[in-house]
Amino acid sequence: MLIRQLKENTIELVDIEPIEAELLRQVPSVCDTGEDSRSEARLFTSPANSTEGQFLSDWAEYVQPGLRQLFLSARTTVKEDLEKLPELKGRLGRLVVPRTHCDAWLNALNQARLILATKFNFTDRELSMHEAPKWFSRRDMVLQQINFYAEVQERIIDVIEDE
Amino acid sequence: MAETVVETKVETSLGIPWNVVVHDDPVNLMSYVTMVFQRVFGFSKDKAQHHMLEVHHKGRSIVWTGARERAEFYVQQLHGYLLLATLERAE
Repeated sequence: MLIRQLKENTIELVDIEPIEAELLRQVPSVCDTGEDSRSEARLFTSPANSTEGQFLSDWAEYVQPGLRQLFLSARTTVKEDLEKLPELKGRLGRLVVPRTHCDAWLNALNQARLILATKFNFTDRELSMHEAPKWFSRRDMVLQQINFYAEVQERIIDVIEDE
Repeated sequence: MAETVVETKVETSLGIPWNVVVHDDPVNLMSYVTMVFQRVFGFSKDKAQHHMLEVHHKGRSIVWTGARERAEFYVQQLHGYLLLATLERAE
């Protein structure tokens, strides 16, 4: 898969392999924490230490709902973009994304990576490994998924910075 | 008299500078963290990379110091990008 600028206001993802399309389609559902407390805690981290009781309380009441809405909006944008990607059935796919959606993509991919890393307890060392494992457990596959999302993020950042 | 004391305390509290601290996170990409620093604080790429590397190597970086209200705003922005950020009193 290649990600590049198409026109001034769009980027395109081309030569999308079916497995890559499948992994991208999983992003919105992976981002759904399902109220898993550890995933929620990673998405909504504490903004100060416990001595700031009133501030933490106000944050939970007034700031977190806005953050939740921001994260949900990013997932929805990615989901709607991906609905334009047809079923590939062995062919390579192509998807055009408005440049204004790039932030939503970066945000949703980040959510997905953070949630997967939290749910599967990946260590710093494991997350910095990029060589393919000798055999594939479910956990190894998830690590590959996290790394794939990281590569997509890197490419989108490259395109944004080339403006 | 009592009112004067309270006002003095409030004024002192508001005058204390606050740090915005970003903490290391193995998931957030170095390029992503750099981009976020540039966007949120208007840093040059070099300055953003300096703070990103400080986070990476030292585990944390003070990215901004100033008034409490502004510090809260920056922490909120950074949380929107899913960075681990806190505010703390400046020493």
